[in-house]
Amino acid sequence: MADTLSIRRVSATPDAYIPISALRSAGPSYAKLVDIGACIGCKGCEVACKEWNDLGVEPTANFGSYQSHKDLSPKTWLLMRFNEVEVDGNLNWLIKKDACLHCEDPGCLFACPAPGAIVQYTNGIVDFNQENCIGCQYCVTGCPFDIPRFDVHTRKVSKCNMCVDRVEAGLEPACVKTCPTNAISWGSKDDMLALADQKVETLNARGYDNAAVYNPAGVGGTHMMYVVPHGDRLADYSLPSDPTASPTPMTALGFLKRIGAYLMGFGVLGVVGHFLRYGPERLEEHEDHEPRGDTGAAA
Amino acid sequence: MADMADRILHRFNFAERIVHWVVGVTFVLLLATGLAFAYPALFWLTALLGGGPSARVLHPWVGVLFGIGMGFMIAIWIRDMFLSDVDWRWLRAMRAYATRDSANVPPAGKYNAGQKMFFWFQGLLAVVFVVSGVPLWFPEFFGSGLLQWMRLAHYLATLGGGLLLIVHVYLGTIAYPGTARAMIDGTVTARWARHHHPGWHEEQTRP
Repeated sequence: MADTLSIRRVSATPDAYIPISALRSAGPSYAKLVDIGACIGCKGCEVACKEWNDLGVEPTANFGSYQSHKDLSPKTWLLMRFNEVEVDGNLNWLIKKDACLHCEDPGCLFACPAPGAIVQYTNGIVDFNQENCIGCQYCVTGCPFDIPRFDVHTRKVSKCNMCVDRVEAGLEPACVKTCPTNAISWGSKDDMLALADQKVETLNARGYDNAAVYNPAGVGGTHMMYVVPHGDRLADYSLPSDPTASPTPMTALGFLKRIGAYLMGFGVLGVVGHFLRYGPERLEEHEDHEPRGDTGAAA
Repeated sequence: MADMADRILHRFNFAERIVHWVVGVTFVLLLATGLAFAYPALFWLTALLGGGPSARVLHPWVGVLFGIGMGFMIAIWIRDMFLSDVDWRWLRAMRAYATRDSANVPPAGKYNAGQKMFFWFQGLLAVVFVVSGVPLWFPEFFGSGLLQWMRLAHYLATLGGGLLLIVHVYLGTIAYPGTARAMIDGTVTARWARHHHPGWHEEQTRP
């Protein structure tokens, strides 16, 4: 976790509790733009990610795909997915740069019960702070993109942190730096949105009529966006068409928690009130009365 | 009269008391840490099980103990917990019970209808706790959609269990002096039994 960046949100922490010293003036909001049409599948970004973040090697085996590993892991924060799909009679690689999208409204952060385990900076980066992580994996449940990965040995969750330590120092993330075709761009969110529109126009001119920008509104937009040549085939890119940061059960849970807090509070007040009104029931006072009920007891 | 009233009756045997306190202590620990996970303002309650990460590890194991305790509790008490005709009348007279209008409360047996309903609700909640708790324990084997609904179910059970606990502890302690000892050394006075459980008192004191 970077200590010198302005903070926007902290997990399980009301805004009022974020130390004022952390709320420096808001800087620019950054975004990474991945132009899938310009990706040549070299996986240099995967290597750069491993190197910069010191994630180490994970042995892999040939499983009939050009892909390096089957899935993300606590040590693999970035995975180029090579989905083999037939488009107009031709085999295509619909590549997805699978890593955290850094949602504007992060479902992981909303789901996290541990104060300070997930932080969102004003620059848009969503970062996990493993020191405060309790290992409950609610963030995994809350993420609409299935990104965070749990390490069974450390019992902590991790994911791409957008090279927050590089960004803090004014550098671009390692994957951006290394990409040989400039398929990954880095800049302010506004600039990247404008660049994305240009790239879509270019793709349209080349005959990709369905080219689109992936910046889903259900999570308030993302700080890693894609330009997808086949915008009508999001599922084939393994991209959810309508991700949301507040799915129905979580919205209901938030609402019920509010009501529940009042119910339990009033429950306690209720018994205190009852006690003050009726007091302890002293049986000595009942000696002269009939016992409870209408049958009478042997006495 | 006085010596009759001060006679000691045995209400709960050793096994019943052990089961009650296993369930009671585990439930309070589970409720405290569960509320800590639900409400950031109560996160400090995780200290009861050694802090956040260790509470996350231990909460499910304490839950296993709770589940086993509930299993035994249901097994040993279920025979006594079916509602009789008097119990249905008791439920309709709940207002009289709550306002200490003793004359209008139908005579309860060993357990009154309120206690029986408490038993059934707690049994139902235990099932919800266990069924929704297992996926939350091992989330890697379940889909996130299911897990979200399980979190909702687990919270609803927590809310129900918390409310039941408030009433249960109040009635068992300060509201009715002489009640808690039934779960400590297992005994009550005949006076207590005659007032609260006339039907049971009659059985126990019949020559």
